[in-house]
Amino acid sequence: MWVRCVLVLIGAALIWSTPVHADDTLPSVLISRQLSEGEHLSVGDVIRLSASDDGSSVQQFRIAGVYEPTPDPARLGAVIREVQLHLPDLLSLTRDPSAPSGSEYVQTINVALVDPADADAFSREVRARMPGIDAQPATGAAESTGPFIVLRRFHLAIAIVTIVASTVFLLALTIMLVDERRAAVGVLRLIGLPIRRILLQLLIEGVLIAVVGSMFGLVLSLLSEGIINRFFQWRYDTALVFVRITPQVAAICVAIAIPLGVSATVVASWALLRRNGLRLARR
Amino acid sequence: MNAMGFAWRSLVRQPARASLGVLGVAAVGALLFDMLLLSQGLVISMRGLLERTGFDLRATATDALPGQGPLIPNAVERTQAISQLPSVRSAIALRFANAVVLAGGPLGVYTTFQGVAGSGAAYPWTILRGRDITPGRPEIVINENTSTRTQLAPGSRVMLRASCTHQEQALPPVPFIVSGVAQFPFDSPNGTTIATSLQMLATACGGNESNEADVIMVASQESAGPSAAVSDVAKLLPDLYVLSNAEAVNRFERGGFTYFRQISTVLTAVTLSFAVLLITVLLTVSINQRLGEIAALRALGFSRWRVVADVFCESVLIVGGGGLLSLPVGALLAVGLDRILKRIPGIPADVHFFVFEPSALEVHLLLLSATAVVAALYPIRIVAKLPIAATLRDEVVG
Amino acid sequence: MTNTNGHIVEASHISRIFPMPAGPVTAVADVTLKILPGDHIAIRGPSGCGKSTLLHMLGCVEPPSGGTLLFRGDDVTKLSDRQRSLLRLRQIGFVFQRFFLLPMLTAAENVELPQSEANVPKSERRQRTQELLEYVGLAARAAHRPSELSGGEMQRVAIARALANKPGLLLADEPTGELDRATGEQIASLLDRVNADGTALVIVTHDPALAERSTRILSMRDGRIESESASA
Repeated sequence: MWVRCVLVLIGAALIWSTPVHADDTLPSVLISRQLSEGEHLSVGDVIRLSASDDGSSVQQFRIAGVYEPTPDPARLGAVIREVQLHLPDLLSLTRDPSAPSGSEYVQTINVALVDPADADAFSREVRARMPGIDAQPATGAAESTGPFIVLRRFHLAIAIVTIVASTVFLLALTIMLVDERRAAVGVLRLIGLPIRRILLQLLIEGVLIAVVGSMFGLVLSLLSEGIINRFFQWRYDTALVFVRITPQVAAICVAIAIPLGVSATVVASWALLRRNGLRLARR
Repeated sequence: MNAMGFAWRSLVRQPARASLGVLGVAAVGALLFDMLLLSQGLVISMRGLLERTGFDLRATATDALPGQGPLIPNAVERTQAISQLPSVRSAIALRFANAVVLAGGPLGVYTTFQGVAGSGAAYPWTILRGRDITPGRPEIVINENTSTRTQLAPGSRVMLRASCTHQEQALPPVPFIVSGVAQFPFDSPNGTTIATSLQMLATACGGNESNEADVIMVASQESAGPSAAVSDVAKLLPDLYVLSNAEAVNRFERGGFTYFRQISTVLTAVTLSFAVLLITVLLTVSINQRLGEIAALRALGFSRWRVVADVFCESVLIVGGGGLLSLPVGALLAVGLDRILKRIPGIPADVHFFVFEPSALEVHLLLLSATAVVAALYPIRIVAKLPIAATLRDEVVG
Repeated sequence: MTNTNGHIVEASHISRIFPMPAGPVTAVADVTLKILPGDHIAIRGPSGCGKSTLLHMLGCVEPPSGGTLLFRGDDVTKLSDRQRSLLRLRQIGFVFQRFFLLPMLTAAENVELPQSEANVPKSERRQRTQELLEYVGLAARAAHRPSELSGGEMQRVAIARALANKPGLLLADEPTGELDRATGEQIASLLDRVNADGTALVIVTHDPALAERSTRILSMRDGRIESESASA
């Protein structure tokens, strides 16, 4: 089993490449792309690893491959210099020589179930049978982690403020746009059209504008999603996705935008329609 | 009537529209102000917190954060050697572990466990009640949360079960006496922390590794300063990784703090674009409704620059009014957002994400001024290039 | 500033051509005209004959495409936009069919506005405003906004505004176009009085009765002055 091993580079002499001996008996490791680029290592190179700061108990390994580390938001900005070993190799490297055998220790065991839907039941059973072991389904683990909950609330707060500001501006604009039509509305009132009829027309216009505006907003957000992700992936040298517009997010945005747009039109129109037709028609 | 007075009358003519424009700028400006506070807030707060501890250098075994890397061997002797450097005022060795305080319930209370060694230096906590620990005696100080949850007070006796390495251990519980209740500068709001001497912590950890520490904290002499002390410590102990507070903060800035700076940059850009776009539309629609009046003024002899100044002043009034209002709104919003973000686990209670600095206010005013200018550009272009006669004709025909 | 022959305006073979997508349109062609101090001129003609365009050129609002246009001896085509603006501010007054009073200002403030732009001291312009409003018979409505005035009253305020900086020439484009007959008659009488007090007056109008009140009537057709007659 491949086990992630984060080896802190102790000193500059801990890892270095040596001329390839083409020794197939050496155990193999994978190194992160960032480590490969930073130390100019490539597949086939032989490296020496030690878990102690004095460089003792060194073992040789052959680089079998270079991998892209799984993006980790908690390590944003960090240069991921990682080596992945087979578990027996890691235990052999890190075991205290004076400690009795059987003292190996791992932090995490990842389990892939035949049926992923069994995750909750499986977790409960492990916890019941093995006190001291904490088993959690992987899905939802991210969302249950404190920082992500807090950040979600933070982003939600920002979104609410943005919506409030947008609503205020939207109301100002719709008042202006409806006001431009005051003369026409005044004439319609004078020739006898009921308020309801005029309001319906303005409402239909408001719905059309809100729908088209929402669609335009969605297109704009999809474009900016790509730009933002590309920029930050370049900036932090990561595969992490920073912005994702899911169908649910899009649906929520449209569900907020359209009623807001329509409401703003209705409010602006109602204020106008309550005025005397003659006053409206007079320039 | 000068341009500003004219602009004021133009805005007051449509009070609902003008008020909404100002309110919109206030909301957007509040968000902008908060993003400016956020961009450096965490760094400023952390810097202040580090300085308040009284130590301005940290030495670790590697470049990992204290408590996340290997231990410093021979920590006590090294601390003693460092404290004797002429550029150093005092030094302490600090080790981090965990412990379960066997009180306050059947399972006890899980706490952070610190061990300190160093003579002639103040410990990195503040005694609130009781007294400080006596080195060599099995005494601990506990923070308020621990005291509340365990119902322990100065003078209480308690058993601790320590956990001192990443490996599972089965260490026996060790008796301690609570000497005092203290405030730890890096405590999170719900954090539980206890501290003792390094020697007692090593005893609780099974008696091994009694001379190792996670970090050596150093206070430099005022006359020498942190840079000189960093240099001296590095020369004395070249195998250690030494950072001044400023360097540590720079590291935070490049690492985990960078997310908040980046998001504040993105939101600042989005907010400003939003404001420019909407004020431009507001002004443009307003002007398009008054083209006849503007053409008439030009025909009467008002210069191109005068009508341009009128439009610009309208933009200034909307953005200026909204900008002023945005400051108290932004301050209130910052308090709320700060409360949200401080719930991130592990954030010290004394650290804030939104910190006021005069430079943030200056940048805020500068950005709003730029917004007023940029937002007015298109409407200014309309009035500057307005064909007077054609507009007058269109008004008659229309 | 040169001043030849005492003419206020000397237009010589002026024309105005508008480039249009479908081809250039000649709004005014080969017009020669002189305006003397105290002149009372009416320009009449069918819609689209170029009356308003000619008026705008005489008022230095629109430069001619060809020909020479001198205002008190200065070649208008050689003046900068700023200079033309100053010229209009101090020497020409405009009265529009649609009045174009600023709705957020009172009658008095509308009249004061051009004086303020011309840097007339505050006390002087207050007095002048008062005099002008009395002149047009609206001293009692000085504090009223245009929305509180009738059409005729608004046009009288507009005339007062046009006279604010004591121009030598007043140009009126269909000044009674939006008024009823009786009110139009009042405005016409007021304009006569303005002219009698020394201001040269050029009026563009459809109204034959208004045109008959002037001393010179220019009939335009297809951008040209077809004929000039004196009123009876």
